Amino acid sequence: MSEIASRLGIGSRRSLRWGIPAILIILLYLAPQLGGSGSFRLGEYEEVLSFLVIAVALNIAMGYAGQYILGITAVFAAGAYGAILVAKYYPHDVGLVAMLVIGGVVGAAGGMIVGLPALRVGGFYLALVSLFAALAIPTVAQEWGFVGADTGIPLYAVLGFSPKLSGELLFVIVVTLVLLFTLFSWLLVHSRVGHRFVALHTSEQLASSIGITSYRTKLLAILISSTIAGVAGGVYVYTQQFFAPGSSSVQFAVLLLAGMVIGGTGTITGPLIGATIILGINQFFTSFQQYNGIVFGALLLGFAVFLPNGLMARVAVLSDRLGISSARVPGTRTGRHAAVPAVADGQVGGAANGKFGGARTAGTAARPAAARAPGAGPGPATPVRLPAWPPVIGADNSSPLIVDGARRSFGGVTAVDDVHLTVNRGQIHGLIGSNGSGKTTLLNLISRFYSLDAGQIRIGSYRLDDRPPYAVARAGVARTFQSPKLMLRETPVENVIPAVELRVRCLGVESVLRLPRGIRVNRQARAEALEILETLGLQRVITQEANALPHGTRRLVELARAIALRPSFVLLDEPAAGLSPAELELLTEVIQNLARSGVGVLLIEHNVPMVLSIADTVTCLHQGKRLFQGTPDELRADATVASVFLGIDEPLETPS
Amino acid sequence: MTLFLTALFAGLAVGSVYGLIALSYTVVFNSTAIFNIAQGDLMMAGVLTSYFCLDRWHLPEIVTLLMIIGVVEALSLVEERIAVRPFLRRPGTTLGWFIATLAFSLIIETVASIIYGQNPVVPIPAAFGNGTLVIAGVHVATKFILAFAVMIVVMIALEIFYKRSWLGTAMRGVAEDREVAALRGIDGLRISRLAFLIAGLVTALAAFVVAPIVSADVTVGLTYALKGFIALSVGGFGSLRGCVIGGLLLGVAEQMFDLYINSNYEILAGLILVLLVLAVRPTGLFGTRAVREV
Repeated sequence: MSEIASRLGIGSRRSLRWGIPAILIILLYLAPQLGGSGSFRLGEYEEVLSFLVIAVALNIAMGYAGQYILGITAVFAAGAYGAILVAKYYPHDVGLVAMLVIGGVVGAAGGMIVGLPALRVGGFYLALVSLFAALAIPTVAQEWGFVGADTGIPLYAVLGFSPKLSGELLFVIVVTLVLLFTLFSWLLVHSRVGHRFVALHTSEQLASSIGITSYRTKLLAILISSTIAGVAGGVYVYTQQFFAPGSSSVQFAVLLLAGMVIGGTGTITGPLIGATIILGINQFFTSFQQYNGIVFGALLLGFAVFLPNGLMARVAVLSDRLGISSARVPGTRTGRHAAVPAVADGQVGGAANGKFGGARTAGTAARPAAARAPGAGPGPATPVRLPAWPPVIGADNSSPLIVDGARRSFGGVTAVDDVHLTVNRGQIHGLIGSNGSGKTTLLNLISRFYSLDAGQIRIGSYRLDDRPPYAVARAGVARTFQSPKLMLRETPVENVIPAVELRVRCLGVESVLRLPRGIRVNRQARAEALEILETLGLQRVITQEANALPHGTRRLVELARAIALRPSFVLLDEPAAGLSPAELELLTEVIQNLARSGVGVLLIEHNVPMVLSIADTVTCLHQGKRLFQGTPDELRADATVASVFLGIDEPLETPS
Repeated sequence: MTLFLTALFAGLAVGSVYGLIALSYTVVFNSTAIFNIAQGDLMMAGVLTSYFCLDRWHLPEIVTLLMIIGVVEALSLVEERIAVRPFLRRPGTTLGWFIATLAFSLIIETVASIIYGQNPVVPIPAAFGNGTLVIAGVHVATKFILAFAVMIVVMIALEIFYKRSWLGTAMRGVAEDREVAALRGIDGLRISRLAFLIAGLVTALAAFVVAPIVSADVTVGLTYALKGFIALSVGGFGSLRGCVIGGLLLGVAEQMFDLYINSNYEILAGLILVLLVLAVRPTGLFGTRAVREV
């Protein structure tokens, strides 16, 4: 496809990639020349432009962080009223900058008033509470004399207020502001803060499993978003010199949403393009307005159902096919559809020659030969070089992870009943048992997705059971999930990066604004993520979206993410399920190498031969209770286990 | 005291409107885990039908009721088919359905306002006349009492349905785990359609009795939808009793705000109420569990 592009003389990838936005930006600046200027028209353009700033704001919260603050027009109105009131009472002292700052501050405060309580419940509560605020603000303002009631505040009639900026200069400034905020949103989503937003959007459990504080992260998203929406209010009142209850309504919020969804939330340019189309139509084709609701409603519905990622996602797919999209890692992108599926059998052994690969010791010899990949001959028995992996915070380095009398019931079922177990650093603790025996529940208790009814969970003497889930990850306990939780629209590298970033101290601001340390840390995180993925033999797939990866590869990416936390303990929930023999081989090696480097591994698995071949200790759960605990050899010899699981009265093997 | 009682009864009547909407949300939510924001505009479609039947065409009340049921049920089925079902088939944690139901709501509202045209907002004749009863020394309009009574009856009927019948139990189970429900022979999609039909019936009844209270204003569907949500979140998600109590609390709070603070800022009562409840008791008064991660 890319040959067509070059044959047509469209030019190189780079010129296309930068050319289109550049042309759009130039067109934006020239809009008054093209669409007829005159100060009235300019004002209308500026009105739409201030709405675009709201679109950028909503996109950060909704498109990236997944926080549906749909009633963001309430925040916009609050910012606008704040700015216009100050301008009304201090007409000589306030200029554009002051009004933008006031708008931003008032908007941020408004966003917090709605966000702080609504986020305690989450999900669509924020959407509805904020929409209610968007309904309430104009309704209240209509009756409130202080803000000019129904007629609003005409700033142009305020004696002494004379804006220094006007005409084309003001227009250029406003366009520049829109572009700056767009640039800011790009910087934000490609920073450590943005990575956290996307992780949170994907799954709260995923986010807290890599140490992200979900409540604070959500609040941050809303704070940033509502500050920008408040600034948009400032832009609006400076350019329109007027604000009335009718300037922001719930219907306006819905229109803005329609524009964003159509353009594509979660892309940088999509919401801008969509909002321009919808608001432009609404603004300039007034004769049609009566039917707007039907058309926009139908469009919104159609896009939500059939094209939930919007127009720009379509464009991205098309440009991918034409080979003009950006390669995130230069030289490795093979195109979305061309890429070879993941870690194919036989390539694993060769690929995994990094830190974790190639180290076979006597301990692994017990593995069934069938698990070996065809091409993976025994590697050189070099000792594995692994860095010391201190936990992020919390307990000291040698303490074991202790589950002490854990109990948890759901309704009448006691899923975990008085379970004791200890995971030592540098050892593999296998956890087996039939379905429903409480293995995953125990894991969720350790990572605090459930709370204990009785008992304790601690590292040494450091209690984990009274801390939130993110603190468990930060104390050095990483985990994987039974069905892999990945950010599906991101590449494996981007899936691993947030976990690396948890360990590297750096302020979000430095990362967003690309201050020196921020740049260094951003690069470092990417490099480290790449390195970990390479040691797992995943370098072939690092530029593919996780969406396109087969199940086994997703599990390995998840494992890479857990390793990236440099944990003291790793909890693995059925990591071998769905892996090919070659992948299983690799996984076994990785687990053993983790243990050898001092990590304590709690391994839930149904693949009992695998567990018995590598575990130091095995715990067997049955109906929530501990049925057995001991070494693999003792398990083989245990009569109870044999009778419960095999229905026979003699042990699996006679002890030798 | 008379003023207080009058406001109290008015509050209970308006609160019944919110409570009924909250009940219809709950019916849909129980079976689909979807919050159908269009419920407010569905009710307004019913109210508009009532206006045409009673005020313009002077049809008998029973015909009016049947017409309302027909219109609301038809719209509910269309909505379920085009705006909800695609998301039930699609696993995932997006709030796409929220946008879809909001879009559907916008379409209903626009069509309704085109049908209604530029006519001024007029009161709709009450179904059973404009009589009053004297309660505690205050005249209470029969339309108020009717709205309240219908809400209570609907709540009790739903309680019995969910507790006592196999179908009711199935309808609650489906939203919890669609796959497990399917394994037990429950067709999730059929249940979802049924949920929309039952919610539609509740909404139609609501429209019939509240039409004289809310007047023929086609632009307020979203307002009622949002107030119904506040009733729901104050009462607690998933609890039928919570819907009723939450609705009544909101209605009375609004009227008291009117009476003692400022009638212009009545809408703030709801906002303050919901923010307070969320801050103090996020699960609502009767809710036992928080809404699951969506």
